[in-house]
Amino acid sequence: MEVYLGVDVGSVTTKLAAVNKNGELLGHIYLPTQGKPIEMVQTGLREIKGQLPQEVDICGVATTGSARYLAGVVVGADLVKNEITCHAMGTLHYIPEVQTIIEIGGQDSKIIIVRDGIVTDFGMNTVCAAGTGSFLAHQALRLGIGIEEFAQRALTSRTPVRIAGRCTVFGESDMIHKQQMGHQIEDILYGLCQALVRNYLNNVGLGKKIDSPIVFQGGVAFNQAIVKAFHEELKTEVIVPPHHEIMGAIGAALLVYEEVLSKNRRSQFMGFGTSEAKYHTTSFECESCPNLCEIAQLVLDDQVLARWGGRCDLWERVQAEEVK
Amino acid sequence: MKIGIPRALLYYRYDLMWQVFFEELGAEVVISPPTTPAMLAEGSSRVVADTCLPTKVFLGHVLSLVGKCDYIFIPAIRSVTKDGYNCSKFLGLPDMTQAVIPESPPVLEIDIDVTRGQRQFYQAIYQLGKHFTWDPLRIRRASLLAWQAYQRYRELMSEQKLTLPRVIQRRGEVEGAVCWPVAAPVRATIALIGHPYLLYDEYVNHRLIYRLEQASNRVVTPEMLTMEELELAATRLVGKAYWAYEEEIVGAGGHYLQNGADGVIGVMSFGCGPDSLMMDVIQRQAARLKSIPFMSLTLEEHTAEAGIVTRLEAFTDMIHRRKKER
Repeated sequence: MEVYLGVDVGSVTTKLAAVNKNGELLGHIYLPTQGKPIEMVQTGLREIKGQLPQEVDICGVATTGSARYLAGVVVGADLVKNEITCHAMGTLHYIPEVQTIIEIGGQDSKIIIVRDGIVTDFGMNTVCAAGTGSFLAHQALRLGIGIEEFAQRALTSRTPVRIAGRCTVFGESDMIHKQQMGHQIEDILYGLCQALVRNYLNNVGLGKKIDSPIVFQGGVAFNQAIVKAFHEELKTEVIVPPHHEIMGAIGAALLVYEEVLSKNRRSQFMGFGTSEAKYHTTSFECESCPNLCEIAQLVLDDQVLARWGGRCDLWERVQAEEVK
Repeated sequence: MKIGIPRALLYYRYDLMWQVFFEELGAEVVISPPTTPAMLAEGSSRVVADTCLPTKVFLGHVLSLVGKCDYIFIPAIRSVTKDGYNCSKFLGLPDMTQAVIPESPPVLEIDIDVTRGQRQFYQAIYQLGKHFTWDPLRIRRASLLAWQAYQRYRELMSEQKLTLPRVIQRRGEVEGAVCWPVAAPVRATIALIGHPYLLYDEYVNHRLIYRLEQASNRVVTPEMLTMEELELAATRLVGKAYWAYEEEIVGAGGHYLQNGADGVIGVMSFGCGPDSLMMDVIQRQAARLKSIPFMSLTLEEHTAEAGIVTRLEAFTDMIHRRKKER
């Protein structure tokens, strides 16, 4: 059976999705990255193999997410694609009439505007990670409640308090202040959800035409309280699609199918055996010029597989020479 | 006599002009090397917190020239059109530099203020030339040659649609300036709108032009348009802009949104007041026209390469896919 794999290695979670050529989802994996992208990709490959039939033929594999280049070398990707294109592709597969995609992940948040099935505009959060999954997780931890419990408690709020959402540092001191004033935890939690949504719409969504149907996806879409806050702020329905947390991986898999079809090439996939290989990464400072770039390299059995991080292509060229 | 010119700010606009002028007057010109992390770090350490990124870069370049030249040339370009002014950082550049870099070589300044009339303008040039010669005819000749050289290179950009690095490469005067060809097949034209010191400083912008060209995009910039085209488009959008260089950016944005590009990227530096206003004008116009996509990129000291790369890849993908669907 022909199968296409999408691997999305984000800052907080690693996602894998396997689809057949009709775009039907055959298997999917959702793992915490825990700062170990290579190991998590390997674990993911091992686990997804168990979900697929025995006589499976991987015809294409694509990587996306912030560790897409690293993951691409590990799995032997046929396509390395940015998250925005992948998310749009995945969502369009399930909800072809979508006009706005809200995606909030661990470290970044995006908005993608789609018209007639084509991405026409997008936005991403800037240097600051205010109001992303990491911030919510951190606040839940500080209040001593699990991230699952977070949503349930926030939903019971009756009089949410107003919390500054522009900056997480101010947001946190605001929360502490409200908590010391004696406000209910529930009200503070839902106030935080509202602040996050306001911040998202005023920052990432600034100047974007947010039309229905609106789809909300990414890890934060698990949080029903945020979904409710979006619904209240936008005054319209917000759809959380099935498999919303692995949409990027699904999109990558669909894109690699398209790629393989157009190029008519055999897949570079390393095989599931790659999940047993001993990869490690090292880095050094390149002293060839005053830029002093930090070059990272991926090593397998004393052999350097890839190098990146330079401002010029010196190390890519060295790499190409070595392969020859 | 060795004259140092910092490779920053208006260098990316008038470099050749000043170089020809000084060389005609018998001076040797030393241009600081391309920006490095160390230069930016040293420049940043000299300024108060709210100074903009391009100024920090400029000071880093001045510091790199200390001990390598007899004089350092820092023009105070107050205005370049009859009714427009430049950002205040250009007005006070020589004074500010001397205040924060006391060890700087003596500063050679010129006040250029077109609003005060031609006479003042010529006099300023004469004053500058007097440092080198007493012969007014020689100064006149040098300034004419300098102006011609500047015009020639503006023509190369506007008529042959070459980016500044390609013009420099064609001139063959700067070592190490290698431009790779645009990756074939060329699939789209992307307009880059912004100050030349952001578009062409590869350290500050993380090799923006190179990345776009390697992704099969032809890159066009404000300099490739004629003054008439720029003014026409700018007037339509904002009437008369107060700042001269910003008018060029708005004009280029307005023009490319309607002609000759498949997408527009506005490049601005964090903390730049004029930039933030101008980009907003272009963004609104893009939203009104709904013609082609517009994206703004904000550059600052801590800009991570990953963020820029993802945005550029997504923007390029979006444009290529749109073209394919049509």
